[in-house]
Amino acid sequence: MSADERGASGVSGSGCQQARDAAPELALGVLAGAERAEVLIHLGHCLPCQAYVAELTEAADALPLVAPEREPPAGFEDRVLATLDDGTRSRRRRWVASIAVAAAAAAILSITIVRVIDAGSEPSAVQSNVTAPAVMRARMVSDRSGDPVGWAHVSGGHAVALTVSYGLEGGNYDIEVRPPSGDAVVIGDMTYEGAQGSWAGTSPVPIDARSDIALVRPRGGDTVCHGTLDVAR
Amino acid sequence: MWSVSDDALVAGLATGDRDAASAFVRRFQRRVFGLARTIVGDDRTAEDVAQEAFVRAWKHAGSYDPRRGSVVAWLLTITRNLAIDSVRVRRPLAMEPSVIVDLDRMSDERDAHELVQLGDDTARLRVALGRLPEDQRRAVVLAGLLGYTAREIGEMDGIPLGTAKTRIRTALIRLRAALVVEEHTE
Repeated sequence: MSADERGASGVSGSGCQQARDAAPELALGVLAGAERAEVLIHLGHCLPCQAYVAELTEAADALPLVAPEREPPAGFEDRVLATLDDGTRSRRRRWVASIAVAAAAAAILSITIVRVIDAGSEPSAVQSNVTAPAVMRARMVSDRSGDPVGWAHVSGGHAVALTVSYGLEGGNYDIEVRPPSGDAVVIGDMTYEGAQGSWAGTSPVPIDARSDIALVRPRGGDTVCHGTLDVAR
Repeated sequence: MWSVSDDALVAGLATGDRDAASAFVRRFQRRVFGLARTIVGDDRTAEDVAQEAFVRAWKHAGSYDPRRGSVVAWLLTITRNLAIDSVRVRRPLAMEPSVIVDLDRMSDERDAHELVQLGDDTARLRVALGRLPEDQRRAVVLAGLLGYTAREIGEMDGIPLGTAKTRIRTALIRLRAALVVEEHTE
């Protein structure tokens, strides 16, 4: 079945219709904000729509191939390689540092496990207070500038779709869920590059309507943006 | 070194092999710089973007998945996103008519049949783009190469949002069909 045939068939509800409508822009990487998040949530459980988007993405990814080639300025290759050499050296230094961090993380993990076992006979505050509406939404705001940078959507208390566009430094970030009471939990990690980052997945812990979702630098670093979930209207 | 496959070069890049990095840059620098220059419109910014694209590729070489597309498509997607970001930060996105003119010129450079016989995605895409109606080609290039949303295209061209979306969708479906049809005729 071709993409155009698929676009007209397999549509089983308004979620499918919305996903098909947004699919070309999603495939081309120009869909942002709440609409992107909503479509990603839908794609998480709709195989026909996933297939439709995948087909369009195939063409979209090939599109930059048609740009004309051009000789870069003299010395370009040497400058790139010099940058990579610098990066290789700093990456080696980070490896040494990460061994120490891993050891610390292992210690923290063992402490956390003990706390979970301790809490086994009595539901924790997080577990007892979860009242998750069907769909919750949080506007993500930069901790540095206060500007809105994206959206988080949570469906059914567990399915999470997070999109961030513009305003952050490129790199990898941990995605943290912070319940109103209790400890923060890292539910995944996201790469932000080219002014765009998105993540869709399932939280291992139920997410409360008053929880915060935050992007933090890896291994317990600074918070770069966060948002408080509320019922989506 | 030039006979090494693109995938093998990426694998070498991931392990920090300097020879692989050098060959990788040499192999793709014209395409990366050309795409960056097309989007940002000046040499200096294009060089910054191209350099950063290679750094990103090096950083993420270990997570490159050949099942999700070719090396060059992966690298050019990184380049495209960086270039669009740099233009958006520097100034509001303005239309770059030269891109569309270039595409017209490229599609006329060789006979369409000859290009298809070359048997690669680039040739097929060029032919397919050349065959699209002008309004669809413009919409898909503005969105796919320059990062315009359907809403921005609608505002720029004075057309309803739905029309802009339809043009993008129809063009993308036709491009995809062209790729698939040509693959089947090989």
